[in-house]
Amino acid sequence: MNTTVQETKKANKLAATKPGGKLVNEYWEMVFRAKEEGKLVCWYEGSAINPFFQAADVVWVHGEAYSAMLAARHLEGPAQKAAEERGYLKELCSYARTHLGCAVSNQRQQNEPDSGYVNMADDKNLATRLPAPDFIVSAYAYCSTGQQWDEMTTRLFGKKIPIFNVSLPWIWGAKPDAGYLRGQEWEETSQYVAKQLRDMVKFIEQQTKRQFDWDRLRELMGHVKRASELRLEGMELCTARPAPATFFDWIAAIAPINNLPIGPHLVDFFQGMKDEIALRVAKGEGAIPNEKYRLYFDGIMNWNKVGWLAEKFAKYDAAVMCGRYTHFAFWQEPGLIDLKDPILGMAQNYLICPNNHSAPILIDETMKLCKKYDVDGMVIHASRTCRAFTNPQYMIAEAATKRLGIPTTMFEGDVTDESFYKDELLNSRVEAMLEAIDAKRMGGGSPSMVSDMSFLNRQAAESAPVTFHRG
Amino acid sequence: MKSQILEKFERAATQPLAAARAWKDANHKKVVGSFPMNFPGELAHAAGTLPLILQEAEDQITVGHGLLYPFYCGYTRSVVDQAAKGDFEFLDAIMFGDHCVQLLGAADAVRMQLPNKRVAFYQLISSMCDPWTHGRARESFVGLKKELEELVGAAIDNETLGTSIQLFNKNRQLIRELYEMRRTGCAGLTAREMQHIVKSSMVMDKAEHTALVEQLLATIKANPPAKPSGVRLHLSGHFCQPPKVEVLDMIESCGVTIVGDDLYHGFRYISTDVREDGDPLDALAEWYMARNTGVPCPTRVQNDVDWDGYLLDAVKKEKAQGMIVLMAKYCEPHMYYYPEVKAAFERNDVPHLLIETEHESMAIEGLKTRVETFVEIVKRREAA
Repeated sequence: MNTTVQETKKANKLAATKPGGKLVNEYWEMVFRAKEEGKLVCWYEGSAINPFFQAADVVWVHGEAYSAMLAARHLEGPAQKAAEERGYLKELCSYARTHLGCAVSNQRQQNEPDSGYVNMADDKNLATRLPAPDFIVSAYAYCSTGQQWDEMTTRLFGKKIPIFNVSLPWIWGAKPDAGYLRGQEWEETSQYVAKQLRDMVKFIEQQTKRQFDWDRLRELMGHVKRASELRLEGMELCTARPAPATFFDWIAAIAPINNLPIGPHLVDFFQGMKDEIALRVAKGEGAIPNEKYRLYFDGIMNWNKVGWLAEKFAKYDAAVMCGRYTHFAFWQEPGLIDLKDPILGMAQNYLICPNNHSAPILIDETMKLCKKYDVDGMVIHASRTCRAFTNPQYMIAEAATKRLGIPTTMFEGDVTDESFYKDELLNSRVEAMLEAIDAKRMGGGSPSMVSDMSFLNRQAAESAPVTFHRG
Repeated sequence: MKSQILEKFERAATQPLAAARAWKDANHKKVVGSFPMNFPGELAHAAGTLPLILQEAEDQITVGHGLLYPFYCGYTRSVVDQAAKGDFEFLDAIMFGDHCVQLLGAADAVRMQLPNKRVAFYQLISSMCDPWTHGRARESFVGLKKELEELVGAAIDNETLGTSIQLFNKNRQLIRELYEMRRTGCAGLTAREMQHIVKSSMVMDKAEHTALVEQLLATIKANPPAKPSGVRLHLSGHFCQPPKVEVLDMIESCGVTIVGDDLYHGFRYISTDVREDGDPLDALAEWYMARNTGVPCPTRVQNDVDWDGYLLDAVKKEKAQGMIVLMAKYCEPHMYYYPEVKAAFERNDVPHLLIETEHESMAIEGLKTRVETFVEIVKRREAA
């Protein structure tokens, strides 16, 4: 195996994602101007409910997106420091901690202009630039953190901010008819969430004192649906060898599909990605210079390290093909959206957040994806403060080994707190996994879980999929 | 007599699975394990089963390390570890409804370990002041009732459920009486003993437990203890799992008298009764909501109640001189709410001390130094 890190091996990133950076900047500038322009501002986390706000002419702030943007630009420090000063502990979700730090900064600027680290003179302190919310909508699938984060935000603003909670139940899937997008539980849960979304629209109407523009929502969802279809078509093309785009290219395209303003430009963005990918497939051009390994990435993104990781895997000749974060989320089932009445389909897309199906369903879908992209191994990002993503990882790793015969490895990091990232551990563990893949190819090795996961030592069922008690 | 009763509580509290297994062997009935903190044991009791709230074990986590990362709370890691070791094999079902991200991870891992076990989920709505909260909570309890009926193969009628509700209410009322005696200095019970009393109620046959609490109350009333003289403190925090008794002993050894708490293995568990008239499922849904109004919990979201305000009121009512916050490491709901508590106590000039606790061994001597210092601070403030 030749895993020597060579500086010349650069990731061949898609050019089509570059306009994404400009779109991101324009969007946040729009957010920063909101109050001057007399716009209402809504803070929310989790589900992509931004089409509702755009249709209502409300400016939206997606908490994770802001935290991720700060981390990607290495500007998360002041916000996290402000949160720490308030008493939020380091083990708390760093998305939330960063965003709550922005709320703390905002309030201090209003009420205590001379106190705290957060008011240090610093032009780059974006923590203070986020406009305060006029209302909050909480619609978080799976992770209990979402509701608690939003609740604490209202309290930081003195409970003066109206809040609406949309409850998104977890799909436990214990009944005989349960499965991905099917079964009584799925149908009932979908209807329950759709009803709440309709009530959420009434809440938005109360805040804006205007009738909700349903035609506008339908129009916006038309763009979302088409953009999503193009995104999935582009992903489909990436099964080619060499891979024309990687997981990291799809990471670079998350903001447009997740939280940026919607319009024809969104369709153009994903059309551009798909076209470039198709061209690469036709030319046999790969996303890394010398594709030798194809890997699956399980876990949320380490936003401080996006470029770093993209380059690292390129240097290892490893194309990271797909992942739970990119390939199971963000309007992943556009076919469910009926443009005449998009609410139910929107509710269902919110319910298929990559974590909101319990492990048996999630594992089955993961294995299908690994087979589709013909991966040789799995890299698992154990994100220290994002337990929504780490919850099923040992079970996914075990299934990958037992069902697919591929090795897995784990590295430690976090969504937006760089201090949890361990580079040397990643290097040694990935190299060990790649050696295992080489050994397997030469017929001399057996798949195994390497690094920390090798001590899995339990009496698990030998053959998968596991059948569960059906109540 | 008092020590004999307390020994029974201690035995059940420290060996909950053995106690439940013994009950099963003696009664030839089913045992239903549940996750904390809002399982309506009344329903499982009315189904003729023993409701057993699954407890964090004292054992070091071994096999469970291969299922959940070390950065999960001790409760979830311990429950998964117990499942992986086969400790739950004797249970007839496991049921849970609380929504905490770590608990959901544990539930998935437990189900994977016990593929032939009925592991039922009845998700309780955690947003507590929506127009549909009551209806949704009731629906969840209807689903749970159906699961239990399927498990035992018989319907649960309202009359039987009403009887179970009365029994559980009586148990709670009696323990609350002990709490009131503790507040007024008439209980003569240590924090360790109080924990055993409440924890064993989560484990034992409710009628047997209730009879024992009645006897204990009578014994204490017949032999009133001397009034305690230590610094009066309130203990707060620790939700799914109890604080280690060694920590409680250490705190008391620093000249502290615990006069109240809002621990789940404490007042939180017995805080609220279920209405005994009308539709029992309606009453259980009301109970679920009322618990969070009575003793607010950071695992729920409810904009019109304040845990920090509740704690300040509790401290005042108990004439406590301060509060120790016991936070189970990695407990996200607690980490979210703690800054509100901290800010409120600082605003009101009420001293408090935060102690993070761990499933694995803790440096008790180091903690003791911190508690001793805190006690000195409280005394000096009082003297000033």
